[in-house]
Amino acid sequence: MDMYTCDSMPSSRSEGSARSKLLSLAGMSKSYSPTVCALNGLDLSIEPGEFITVVGPSGCGKSTLFNIVAGLEEPDAGSEIRFLNKPVNKASELLGQVSFMPQRDLLLPWRTVIDNAILAIELEGKRRADARRIALDMLPEFGLAGFENQYPNQLSGGMRQRVALMRTFLFGRDLMLLDEPFGALDALTRTMMQRWLLDVWQKHRRTIMFITHDVEEALFLGDRVLVMTARPGRIKLELPVTLDRPREPDIVTSPEFIRLKRELLIAIEEESRKSFAPTPSAGH
Amino acid sequence: MKIHQWLGHTFTLERRRAAFGLIAVALIWEGLVRFLDVPAYVMPTMSAVLETMLAQRQVLASNAWTTVIEALAGFFMGSAIGVMVAVFVVSIPLVRRFVLPALMTINSVPVVAYAPLVLLWFGTGIESKIALVTLAVGFTVMLHAISGLDQVDPKAVALLRSFGADKAAILWRLKLPTAAPLIATGMRVATVRSVIIAIVTEMLGSASGLGWTIYQGVLQIDFVQVWSGIFAASAVSLIFFSLIAALERHIIFWKS
Repeated sequence: MDMYTCDSMPSSRSEGSARSKLLSLAGMSKSYSPTVCALNGLDLSIEPGEFITVVGPSGCGKSTLFNIVAGLEEPDAGSEIRFLNKPVNKASELLGQVSFMPQRDLLLPWRTVIDNAILAIELEGKRRADARRIALDMLPEFGLAGFENQYPNQLSGGMRQRVALMRTFLFGRDLMLLDEPFGALDALTRTMMQRWLLDVWQKHRRTIMFITHDVEEALFLGDRVLVMTARPGRIKLELPVTLDRPREPDIVTSPEFIRLKRELLIAIEEESRKSFAPTPSAGH
Repeated sequence: MKIHQWLGHTFTLERRRAAFGLIAVALIWEGLVRFLDVPAYVMPTMSAVLETMLAQRQVLASNAWTTVIEALAGFFMGSAIGVMVAVFVVSIPLVRRFVLPALMTINSVPVVAYAPLVLLWFGTGIESKIALVTLAVGFTVMLHAISGLDQVDPKAVALLRSFGADKAAILWRLKLPTAAPLIATGMRVATVRSVIIAIVTEMLGSASGLGWTIYQGVLQIDFVQVWSGIFAASAVSLIFFSLIAALERHIIFWKS
């Protein structure tokens, strides 16, 4: 029943190298109706500790991809998911297995900063007092020291996003899915948050999948950038980011960065034009 | 806290104005009735009403107590049932489509119209009043709770599911708190309603309570008693409303 029809990743690999994959998706498709197809034959694999960024034209199925990996939606029959080297029969088995952070912070207004941060581990069954103690130690790292008893409506947009990120980090799963976490922030705050996220990621060594609309953000953060095609979504381009870490802010002006950015922009431009084409490119 | 600070805090400008207005009305009432020499069965003097209230304070208090018990019991039962039915209606789409319209039909008839039947079924004791107050409060709270539960963000539900939360946890940690502000509004509105329903039902059949006091006063052409009943009912209603409103401000702190 474990048939690999994936051509990008031969199934004849040894156990050892298959082990090194945290998540692999093969032939992932998702259609909402016979005419609406969000994903079509998407292949993807992620290694532990990797920082993967995903870009693509609007409505290309990025969020659908995330929802499936988070266990919130079921893919079409025939799609294959392997997580932690075990086959996943139903996506819903992944509920509670990955740390998911949606676009909006979705903080609960009746909970303080600290209680919002511990929401996920509290749901896991940890005692509130213990959870709070763990979270208190983490506050300074997230730039929230002294704010533990504030309520979300007293915080700036950047701080709210850090609370949401802290909630995601505290959940402590191997894979973190971040869906445009900095999309709503102003440019300056966003740059600060990107640098800060890299610091935190380097310290905690977690695997991150990160959706963004911003090509520079994708390059600055990622080990690999995945460009998705217009709907129905597939991986169009897998671009390894050959930039050293730790990355300084001025890296965005280096020739190598510019070269990679050009390559990405060309690929995205091609796909964006497709989704604006007058005749429907309806292939499914 | 210094005493003048405490006074300033307790007697805000708004409250001082309200008190001033009440005193003004009382003085005008007293003055007009005396000046025009209105007979007591049309309109007694304010001082006569207050005197009677003081003299009969024990009887009045015991009747007020009956009404308070009926209103409170119905209020809390109705609120609990209203929230539970709302959760049920919202979580099962089929129920919403078929049961909700039926409930709305029942609700569109004024609750008091059911009073004679309820008196027949539950007798003239406090049970019939509690039943009617429960019905009235239950509908008010249920409708508010349904619109509150409808405000729950599906994205937030998805987030909690991704954390592995089950249905009960989502209800408890997300849905009910989200709906709480509107549930509280419904309960605040229902306070006054519950006192009204209790009193009206007492008028239709009972042996005690403020409604009974007022009704007996009318039968005996004792308008001083009627007015003392009205005053006591107003006080009960006002205190009840203020308490629930204060609780609401305290519990639903994030909405202010």
